[in-house]
Amino acid sequence: MSQKQAPAVSEYNDLLARQKKARKAEERRRNLPLYLFMLPGLLYLIANNYIPMFGILIAFKKVNFATGIFQSPWCGFSNFEYLFVTKDAWIMIRNTLAYNVCWIILDMIIAVFIAVLMAEIASGRAAKVIQPVICFPSMVSAVLLSFIVYAFLSTSYGYLNTTIFRDNPINWYATAKYWPIILTIVHFWQNAGQSSIIYMASIGGIDKSLYESARLDGASKWKQIVHITLPMLRPMIILMLLMSIGRIFNSDFGLFYQVPLNSGLLTSTTQTIDTYVYRALLQLNNVSMSSAASVFQAVIGFVLVMASNMLVRVIEPDNALF
Amino acid sequence: MEKAKVSKIRDERGFYTLSLILLGILAVFCVVPFILMISVSFSSETALAHGYKFFPEEFSLSAYSYLWLKRATIFRAYGLTILVTVVGTAVNLLITSLFAYPLSRKDFKYRNVFAFILFFTCLFNGGMTASYIVWTRLFFVKDTIWAYLLPGALMGAMNVLMVRNYYNANIPYAIIEAARIDGANDVRIYTSIMLPLSKPVMTTIGLFAALGYWNNWTNGLYYITDSKLFTIQVYLKKLMDSIQFLKTSDLANESAMLAAQSLPTESARMAIAIIALLPILFVYPVIQGELIKGMVVGGVKG
Repeated sequence: MSQKQAPAVSEYNDLLARQKKARKAEERRRNLPLYLFMLPGLLYLIANNYIPMFGILIAFKKVNFATGIFQSPWCGFSNFEYLFVTKDAWIMIRNTLAYNVCWIILDMIIAVFIAVLMAEIASGRAAKVIQPVICFPSMVSAVLLSFIVYAFLSTSYGYLNTTIFRDNPINWYATAKYWPIILTIVHFWQNAGQSSIIYMASIGGIDKSLYESARLDGASKWKQIVHITLPMLRPMIILMLLMSIGRIFNSDFGLFYQVPLNSGLLTSTTQTIDTYVYRALLQLNNVSMSSAASVFQAVIGFVLVMASNMLVRVIEPDNALF
Repeated sequence: MEKAKVSKIRDERGFYTLSLILLGILAVFCVVPFILMISVSFSSETALAHGYKFFPEEFSLSAYSYLWLKRATIFRAYGLTILVTVVGTAVNLLITSLFAYPLSRKDFKYRNVFAFILFFTCLFNGGMTASYIVWTRLFFVKDTIWAYLLPGALMGAMNVLMVRNYYNANIPYAIIEAARIDGANDVRIYTSIMLPLSKPVMTTIGLFAALGYWNNWTNGLYYITDSKLFTIQVYLKKLMDSIQFLKTSDLANESAMLAAQSLPTESARMAIAIIALLPILFVYPVIQGELIKGMVVGGVKG
């Protein structure tokens, strides 16, 4: 009995296995176009993102292009040690962090301020002109920005030196102490309008009946802003602040490199990690220093993005990236 | 009672006017620098010697006639910029949407694996130095047109996820299943359902991609040394460099003198900058609504 059954069972198992195999083959065949769809994107991700990730190893090597990157000897953390004993390292980290911390706070205040004012005139016709106009500077490239700034600051012809500072002209591109202020003005000129958009959208989403009942209770405009608009914006403000923490070691390369016209006299106030990485790589031909700085930035950036996302997930789970 | 009402209306009127005035001033500040640029480009050189002014002291078209003389160089740079912008944007949209489609298919088993491969690139990168070495030593993009199209510019992970979310939210899976039963294959579904139904998100991404390509000058800075391959932004950047170089070098030096004479004048430089700005200036009023919508979405996620 059992001897007779055995072949039947194994046959049945065979059949099942074959069916499963056929189903898998069918699924593979059916999904083949999907893989082909993703192929160009995947190749691009590999070339543009994944291979450079292994490039991190360059920071731990004593690179010699004559013998090739793979043959170059390992040197542990010595590139980082060399980098961090230089004064450059301290200056670029200080600048990157100081500009970012000041601008994150100011960005928030200015953007919310503009958004509140915009919400006030949103129903009027003027808003349709004003909103695009204040967002326009963010459409301009850093190169054009440098031309605009040059028109104001050029030593011999610039608008400032021929009007306000006519009697004692200032050599702007050679005087480092003015650049924290200049860069801050340029940064806000370019970004204030754009960064207010997000808060404008949030104000647009606030329930209008809240304002109606506040008005019936006799609340002034000022009170409505303080007691309705700002509290309702709080989650968005916190979210934006947390997300900017993830980018605190990054900087706007164009603003710090091109707007000061790559002037060597200004590096004490205009050098950031991004400009250092570029200068070390292509102007000083120092691959070790450049890669050490860029890996430092990438790794800290990764840690901070993870940390800020964790905080977002605790406070505003819907807006967490993952 | 009447009095309270009147004062409330006055309060609201006053606030409206105040907002309008403050924002009006802000808008003026945003426009004024551009006016300075335009004014300089229409000024004669002799007038500019007294300094840049918001209204030309002496109107002159000499800057623009200089551009006409230099048209071969400028048109070349301009044409290359247009080419890079058009091709880059088209390829970007194509591979972004092609990648997003499988990720949106709920019956595709490995969609989360691929979504993670994609998303991880937002969290971590090898840094600029590694990127530069890979693109120049492995893919040899230095001094080729690929340098503008490929490094960092072709497909952004956040855009792919945005398109995928759009597919998921706006194109019911039932439509795809129905098409499949009717015998449509994936290519057909992609071209006749996904693409036409996702026009809004594709428009937004396309506009930002085009703006990015038009304004991109860092790829030129890193990868291009051949002046035949300058885009208009890179050309402008090099122009600014040579001015700075002459400022610091000795003008008594003969070669520096010669270089100084061949350089465009102050007004011509501004004219070239304006030419680079012109397309954005013309297109912006039409597309600003879309761009502003895109900023809201892009501002929250990434």
